[in-house]
Formats: sequence, C-alpha cells, structure tokens
Amino acid sequence: MSVEVFAASSLADVPGDLAESFEAAHPDVDVRVTSAGSQVLRLQIEEGAPADLFASADPSHARLLWEAGLLGSPEVLAHNALVAVVPDASPLRTFDDLPRATRIVVGTPNVPVGAYTRQVLQRARTVRGDAFAEAIAGSIVSEEPNVRLVRAKVELGEADAAFVYRTDVSPGLRALPLPEALAVRATHVVALRPEASREAQAFFAWALGPTGDAALLDHGFDP
Amino acid sequence: MIDRALTGLGAFLAAGLLALLVLPLLALVVASSPTAVAAAVADPAFLPALGLSLATSASSVAVIVLAGTPLAWWLATSGSRWVRPVGLLVDLPLVVPPAALGIALLQAFGRRGLFGPALAAVGVQLPFTPAAVVVAQVVVAAPFYVQAAVNAFRDVDPEVLLVARTLGAGPAAAFGRVALPIALPGLVGAASLAWARALGELGATLLFAGSLPGRTTTLPLAVLTALESDVQLAVVLALALVALGGLLLGVLRAVPTWRP
Repeated sequence: MSVEVFAASSLADVPGDLAESFEAAHPDVDVRVTSAGSQVLRLQIEEGAPADLFASADPSHARLLWEAGLLGSPEVLAHNALVAVVPDASPLRTFDDLPRATRIVVGTPNVPVGAYTRQVLQRARTVRGDAFAEAIAGSIVSEEPNVRLVRAKVELGEADAAFVYRTDVSPGLRALPLPEALAVRATHVVALRPEASREAQAFFAWALGPTGDAALLDHGFDP
Repeated sequence: MIDRALTGLGAFLAAGLLALLVLPLLALVVASSPTAVAAAVADPAFLPALGLSLATSASSVAVIVLAGTPLAWWLATSGSRWVRPVGLLVDLPLVVPPAALGIALLQAFGRRGLFGPALAAVGVQLPFTPAAVVVAQVVVAAPFYVQAAVNAFRDVDPEVLLVARTLGAGPAAAFGRVALPIALPGLVGAASLAWARALGELGATLLFAGSLPGRTTTLPLAVLTALESDVQLAVVLALALVALGGLLLGVLRAVPTWRP
C-alpha cells in the first residue's frame, strides 16, 4: 500500500521525516513524497496526478483544488516567516542593507514564496517609501519556480540575496529577518483527497497530530 | 506468409511512430483557438519573450557560424592527428543533458566559477544577463552546426580545390571562392538546424541565465512559467515555438535546391 504525498518545496523535508516514523509504525505502508512549487503540484493534481495528500505553501492553491472538488478542505499545517537570505560572508547585516544588494532572486509571482515576497515589497513601498522598495525591486535578476531554486542561486554565490522562508536558511547562509512592519506570515496548509485510502487518512492525522507538530517544530516551523 | 506478417508489423510500428510524432503537435493546434491566440499575443509575457528569443537565437547563430565555419573547414580538410579528438570534443555537448551543461557553465563562468573572478576583473558578469542566454544557446547549438558543416565541406571535391590552387589561388581564396559557394546550401541548412536548437534551449538557460521577463525569459522559459498559471497561454506560446521551428525546417528543406 502506498501513500502519495505532494509537498511544496518549502515543506519537502518534513514529510520525508514523517514518512520514516510513519512507516516504522505501519510497515506495510510506503509513503512517497513528490516535491515542487505548490503551483506546479496543483497543476499536476488538476491534470489527474494521484496525490493522496497535498501540502501547499499557501492556502490559495489548496483552496482552488478544494473548490474544484479534487481535495478535501485544507487544514493549517504550520506557519512560517519570510526572510531575506545572504551568504555568510556578505557585508549586508540587516534588512535595511538590502537595497545595497545588486543581484536579488525571488520566486515567480505564482509560486507562494514569490507571492509572499511581493506582499513584502508592497508593504515596503508603503512603510519605507518608493525609493527603498524600488532599490530592491530594481535589483531582482531572476524569478525562480520554487523556493529551493531561489535559495540555490544564493548558495551558488550567483545572487547577493534572496527571499525565502525562515526554514529554508541552510548552512553557509545567513537570514536577515524582516522588520516587524514588513513581516509577512506564511501559512502552510495540507489537504486530503476526497476518497483517500485508510492509510492516507492515517498519515494525514499523523501529520496533523503531535508527531507531525514535533517534526515541524524540529524543522523550525511555527505551530 | 511470415514475410507478409513482418511487413505488416513494420508498417504498423512505423505508422505508430509517425502518429506519435505528429499527433501531439496537431493536438496543440486543436487545443488552441483564434481567441486564445489573440489573448496570448496581447499578454504582456508574449512579445518580450518572442523578441528575446529571436534576438538571442540570432546572436547565437551569428557567433556559431562565424566561429564554427573555420572549425568545420579544418575538421573536414585537415590531415592532422588532432582532428579526431577535437571532433569528439565538439560533439560532447550533444550527449550531455542541457541541465548538466547549465551547471557546468555556472562552474566555469559563474561568480564563483573557474573564470568568474577573471571575468569580474574586466567588469563582465554573465549569469542573469541576455549574454548568458546566448552563451548557453551557443554551447548547446554549435555542435549541430559544426557537425553538419563538416559534412557539407566533405562533399566539396578536393580536385576542384586543387585546380583552383594550381590556377594561382591561395588557400583563403580557394576556400572563399570555391569551397564556400559549393558548400553554402549545406551550411545554410546547418545554420537553420543550430538556430532551431538555440530557439528551443531551456535547461542550460534556466540554470545559467535564470528567468526574468523581458531580460532572460525566452519563449521556452515562458512556456514553463505560463503553464503554472495559465495553460491556454502556455499552449499558444508552445504553438509559436512550433511555428518558428516549422519555418526553420522549411528553410532547411528549401535550401539544398537553391543556388546563389
């Protein structure tokens, strides 16, 4: 018996860990995780991909699938914060230094991390003024289809900075937290297929229960 | 009896393959509509992507033809023992997946790449620029041109060149006045092939040049992005690529009968 989990790139590490403990408790179940940008996974589900569970980085993609009758109602899985990341050795110390970056990478407008980033820039425009927001927006050199590809451009040293989730900050990178006035809280959700197998339902409950919470906390997500 | 059965099986398999090659493209046409095409052309993503694709692929083909023609001539006519290994190196990008080439380009010309610091010293930063798109296209498309151009030059009768030389033409004049005109149709075909390949380049571009509308998002990259939000737009963008490819194939097929 297998359970197919479609997980947003930002959440990709969590179902893997959960799957391990779940499979230990249910030896006859094989949990398989596919990860990509939430918008890509949504498209695949719309085109008939056999996802039992869909963990989306923002509520909008899961809600659209729910409205289309392809998924059950989405439940909040975790919260997250958007941050700017820079290489460890970067001279940029705080978020206010970000306009000095010359090459910034963000997500495309339809991947959740890109949508959240645009909310931040919108706020920056109101709170800090056009010049500040324009200095950042004008330095955007690439739009990537998922948060891990956004991060990779900084890891490779090609970008000076990028907007990712706090949970995506990897060794070698440093987070520049957003000032409170600009902070955007990301909501990650999970939904189950309408006629899901008993195993898939069990995994869904497992992910939303104490084991799932512990795994999410472990990876730095907020409850 | 067995003979007839085998012939029938062969015809069946051949027809199946032909259907597989043609039906998806036909479906692309069916899936679209004049209103969808009009809407897509009006979409802010369409014209910049088309313009960028045409400009970058034209630049790539110019680079490939300028540098690839002498290389192909050397490969076709030299007796050097280096011809074989060099020919092999030229063909290498054909068998390496574009995504791997993209990573390789970053490791070579990226900011932390082998030549990144040297390039930065002279003020050149390739990644995330249209120039990076051209570099990626040149790497994936050049082997197509060089390979076909070598074949075109090999068809030039050495006797004709010898006659030209005995009549007093230097090596450059013999090449320019004799070999080049004879091989020209083949070279134009080779260039069309390389152009089509450059136009379709996706993997290496995505990794090496990134994607920013109007700057590095070529048509194939726009198809990828559009698919995530607007399938109809993706269908029309794909149709545009098919049309451009068809146009180049038309040139390719028309040219061997054409003489300047």
